[in-house]
Amino acid sequence: MDRRKALGNIGKGIGTIIVTPSIVSIFQRCQSSKTFNPTFFIAEDFNLISRLMEIIIPKTDIPGAIELKLPEFVDNYIDAVWDKKSKENINKSLKLFKDVAKTKFGQKPTRDLTFDELDKLLDKFLKSKDINSDEEKFAASFTTDLRNLTINAFRTNEYIGENILAYQPVPGRNVGCVDLDEATGGKAWSLQ
Amino acid sequence: METEFDAIVIGTGISGGWAAKELCEKGLKTLVLERGRMIKHIEDYTTMNDDPWDYKNGDVITQEIKRVQPKQSRTDYVNSESTKHFFVNDLEHPYKEEKPFNWIRGYHVGGRSLLWARHTYRLTDFDFNANLKEGIAIDWPIRYKDIAPWYDYVERYIGVSGKNENLPHFPNGIYLKPMELNCAEEVLQKKVNNSFDDRIVSNARIAHITEGTKPGLGRVSCQYRNRCRRGCPYGAYFSSNSSTLPAAELTGNMTLKPNSLVHEIIYDKNLRKATGVRVIDSNTKEVFDYKAKVIFLCASTVGSTSILMQSISERFPNGMGNDSGELGHNLMDHHFQVGADAIIEGIEEKYYIGRKPAGFYIPRFRNVGGDSNQKNYTRGYGYQGDASRGGVSKNALELGYGSDFKRSITKPGDWSIGMQAFGEILPYHENKMYLDQDDKDSWGLPKVVFDAEIKENELNMRKDMMQQAIEMFEAAGAKEIVPYDKKYIFGNGIHEMGTARMGDNPKNSVLNKHNQIHAVKNVYVTDGSCMTSSGNANPSLTYMALTARAVKHAIQELNKKNL
Repeated sequence: MDRRKALGNIGKGIGTIIVTPSIVSIFQRCQSSKTFNPTFFIAEDFNLISRLMEIIIPKTDIPGAIELKLPEFVDNYIDAVWDKKSKENINKSLKLFKDVAKTKFGQKPTRDLTFDELDKLLDKFLKSKDINSDEEKFAASFTTDLRNLTINAFRTNEYIGENILAYQPVPGRNVGCVDLDEATGGKAWSLQ
Repeated sequence: METEFDAIVIGTGISGGWAAKELCEKGLKTLVLERGRMIKHIEDYTTMNDDPWDYKNGDVITQEIKRVQPKQSRTDYVNSESTKHFFVNDLEHPYKEEKPFNWIRGYHVGGRSLLWARHTYRLTDFDFNANLKEGIAIDWPIRYKDIAPWYDYVERYIGVSGKNENLPHFPNGIYLKPMELNCAEEVLQKKVNNSFDDRIVSNARIAHITEGTKPGLGRVSCQYRNRCRRGCPYGAYFSSNSSTLPAAELTGNMTLKPNSLVHEIIYDKNLRKATGVRVIDSNTKEVFDYKAKVIFLCASTVGSTSILMQSISERFPNGMGNDSGELGHNLMDHHFQVGADAIIEGIEEKYYIGRKPAGFYIPRFRNVGGDSNQKNYTRGYGYQGDASRGGVSKNALELGYGSDFKRSITKPGDWSIGMQAFGEILPYHENKMYLDQDDKDSWGLPKVVFDAEIKENELNMRKDMMQQAIEMFEAAGAKEIVPYDKKYIFGNGIHEMGTARMGDNPKNSVLNKHNQIHAVKNVYVTDGSCMTSSGNANPSLTYMALTARAVKHAIQELNKKNL
């Protein structure tokens, strides 16, 4: 698809995120130029998880979650792979996450939560593990589930798998024990 | 169209492929029947080079796959996007469960020889003697010395990577060089071999070429891609498709007919032998009869026993060869899904190159005499296991999220190691399969019903399987040892066997020591159905060896005009 349109879509409704041209878009599946219609999450929640995922895996010298289209992957993954019970569980824990956010940040709507406020929530649940109620336990489980989904999306991403991690489709040999630096320069193999 | 042959082989899997090769190479015009579709080596391995990102959600089992393969999906691994097309559509191939049963298979040329885990171990006299010694079921009609030359013969032909350890209960074989263990597996091996005097950690013995080539359609060395179950473009692991069927084809004596469902074996009560088979074309449902002097029934345990049960005649009102009443009974598998996982610390600066398809094997060390004999269970188990760095490191999880976290997940995870035990299931008469004549599938064949469960011996064994995994990881200094005993469903080992067992006495067995049906000497049954006990070793090598041995016997008998 038209790369300029792709970059334009990335900028919509996200806030200040610096996007530099990259070859990432070459690795994306061609999509129509309409905005992405999530199949599992409602639009507002998809927007929320996109922003959360960009905080979990931000843009560095490697593209971040949004440029890599990891939120789209996660939305489709839950829809296509998870069973009914798991889907119900994450809907429940997502709702409680939003409730905790509302309580903590003066009842403001989800879409108005700032980058800093979302970062504070992730810090609470994923770093300090500051959990003080059943409601917060569920909210925390939402963030760990989302992080796991994000890691899986990152590793299943073609650009990451072939360029950032060590990609070796046909190793041709088996060496059982070798220095990490010598094997891959410190990177993880992308294929298992 | 030719309808008369010297021999008919029913099935093209692990045993059928061998029957086809051996019969054709001895000059017999052989009709080889497969109920499923043709799969041509390499040409039909449509997913062999796929990366995870070639699938929308990665190489996983989706809800849509589960909808059409609800039972195959119970394994949680065999039928992901890259391999689902090699497993049956459960909606088209239904079966029934009086007790839970996972009947995991695919219907195509090559059968499960295309899909197996390739672990290749010999039975021993500990296995062959056990029933007699313990007064359980019936005695095997053969011993290790009868099958040992055939183990050699098969191993030499197919190529098996492994290491000789000179142990009586883990016999030496003909092995190509073993696949080097990785750093964490070596730590386990060193520590266990030093700390215990009753057990060792060895290399897995797997049917992969690790040096040279083997006969077939260009079978060369393993490239360590670990994409085996999709079919291998290098022919590096043994399958009928890359090895035995091409050998049969080369002779010019084979007629291979896929899409040919055998309904029954035809019996002539005056000649007192089988005269041929009745076949249903799986696509058109037309019926054809074929004749032959000798028949090799290699349709896999449940397939073969079903065919015998469907072969009703005046002489055999309860199924061909079922004078004993044992047909369908003594159903066995290997129980597993019990063991432990752990982390090996201290080797974070080490890694591996290549994705070897198996790791270590800990051969049976229980009930092999002396102090190894257990009070509360008999028979034994072995462990399969491996280590890798494919997970997310503890360090990454502590970083939580953000740029440092992102950097850390581009590095290898912790050294994660696991071992899982595979144990013998005793031959219980009441564990069985039978046919429901009132409930037919779309080819007019009665559906199979399974009624089997593991019992006290196996449950007691499982406690020890878990405990020993913990003790070995503790000896290795491993951290975060997490033992598990997941619910094992009968059949999930995908080693179902025993329903047409071998024995010396026609009153309590279906087959004799040559794998002939006692009462129908020109029918040989050489797949898993023939097993008199299960041992704890992966059984495919035994099926191949028994098949080659039985063909030699059949040829001798034909030459003597006994068949």
